[in-house]
Amino acid sequence: MSGIIAGYLPLFDLYLIHVGLAFSQYIVLRAGVFSLATAAFAGIGAYTAGIFAVNLGLHPAIGLLAGTLTGMGAAIFLSIPLARLRGVYQAIATVAFIQICLSLNVYSESLTGGAMGLNNIPKTVGTGTLFVFAALATYMIWAIERGRLGRAFNAIRQDEAVAASLGISITRHQMLAFAISGALAGLFGGLEAYHAYALDPNQFGFHLLITILSYVILGGRNTVLGPLVGCAILIILPELARPLAENRMVIYGVMLIVVINYVPKGIVDTALDAIRARRLKMREETVS
Amino acid sequence: MLEVRDLKVSYSGIQALRGVSMNVSSGETVALIGPNGAGKSSLLNTISGIVRPESGSVMFEAGDITGARAWVVTKAGVLQVPEGRKVFGEMTVLENLQVGETALHGRAPTYRLQDVFDVFPILQERREQRAGSLSGGQQQMLVIARALMGGPRLLLLDEPSLGLAPVIISQVFDALAELKAQGLTILLVEQNAHLALTASDRAYVIEQGRIMKSGASMDLAKDPEVTALYLGQE
Repeated sequence: MSGIIAGYLPLFDLYLIHVGLAFSQYIVLRAGVFSLATAAFAGIGAYTAGIFAVNLGLHPAIGLLAGTLTGMGAAIFLSIPLARLRGVYQAIATVAFIQICLSLNVYSESLTGGAMGLNNIPKTVGTGTLFVFAALATYMIWAIERGRLGRAFNAIRQDEAVAASLGISITRHQMLAFAISGALAGLFGGLEAYHAYALDPNQFGFHLLITILSYVILGGRNTVLGPLVGCAILIILPELARPLAENRMVIYGVMLIVVINYVPKGIVDTALDAIRARRLKMREETVS
Repeated sequence: MLEVRDLKVSYSGIQALRGVSMNVSSGETVALIGPNGAGKSSLLNTISGIVRPESGSVMFEAGDITGARAWVVTKAGVLQVPEGRKVFGEMTVLENLQVGETALHGRAPTYRLQDVFDVFPILQERREQRAGSLSGGQQQMLVIARALMGGPRLLLLDEPSLGLAPVIISQVFDALAELKAQGLTILLVEQNAHLALTASDRAYVIEQGRIMKSGASMDLAKDPEVTALYLGQE
């Protein structure tokens, strides 16, 4: 039994890291920003943490803090030009940002190891640490969602002009959403660095972008449960269908098309809507 | 309280306001009437910061709010109820009202949740319901209530009767009369001139971006030109 659990532990670790990245994507979408830059922020955080450990020999806690801060700094920086764009243009600009980060990474070989990647990072992060950080991230997103900030994000996403007329500063709130997104991606990128021994520049490219976006779209964009469930499904499913595990990207693609067409709100949001509608109906029936 | 001087606004070359001056005193209800495209909404949107003026000034109490951004204008207590019942459809009634509190920016609220429910009892009944599932009249009440939660000192109302059934319109205007009786200052834009002149103390007639007439609503209601153009001959 313990053998089976141990066998699935790497999968669980992957889940915990990707949950953090999924929340990074979730929070910007929540605030009405169509940014896809999470993969880049994760790369920035991961490399910062990695370099802090390998080149500077600093304590992992300092490396993680540095990864979080650089991820956040990059996000705040990116939010300034992005404030002038909307919708699909934001998406295009952030994809370009990912490519720029990849290129810079390869060019600055002396610092990042270039195309060879950054190797020999001491493994200092295990399942326990990952679990604690994933739980904290989940709690933070949950708390934001229930509070004033979450309502402001919702208002902006649903109608920017009305939100502004109610006293909500669009620029400030979207910058804040970016900062949270960048900090989360930086932190979980850093955790990835300390968990995986080595980093490869292509790890933080287009592939990761699609993967993270899939978690949120499949799971749902309106509750904290969405990314948790979406991430679980997309990580477990290819493993259950082992022979197809090689074709993970194909499975992702097919699932996305199916979900966007038939459950556009995502699995969790659709299920919650159905439950809510049933409850309302039951209440009305008991009243009448 | 509100002093607009020689305000000019244009959208990509087309002049919407050609030098509008008007004012609203504390406690008054002032109506802007005029035909479609006269510039009524442009004036409201310029006061509330959604549109920036070319020239002219907007003073509110002692402060200059000319060209200030929309969310900054709310800090002064100037709150707009936009045209077209723009509720946040995915949120519940209660959440819509809670978002409205943002406009307080630390000022003391003038209407608490219970005060708002006293004016609009139907909203209390529907508080947990999604705003998108409310009827048109209820949504109009909700957007007014949402603005009240932000502690307005001046409430800008854009076409509150638009697309509502007559019986619902009179409910909405009864509520406005109640707010007025409570001392709220209101600037009302309304295409339905009869309704606007009945509900207000003073009114401005606006045509092609200019103020054509102004005066006490009672007098304007008897003015031959206004009667002919906006009230229909009886």
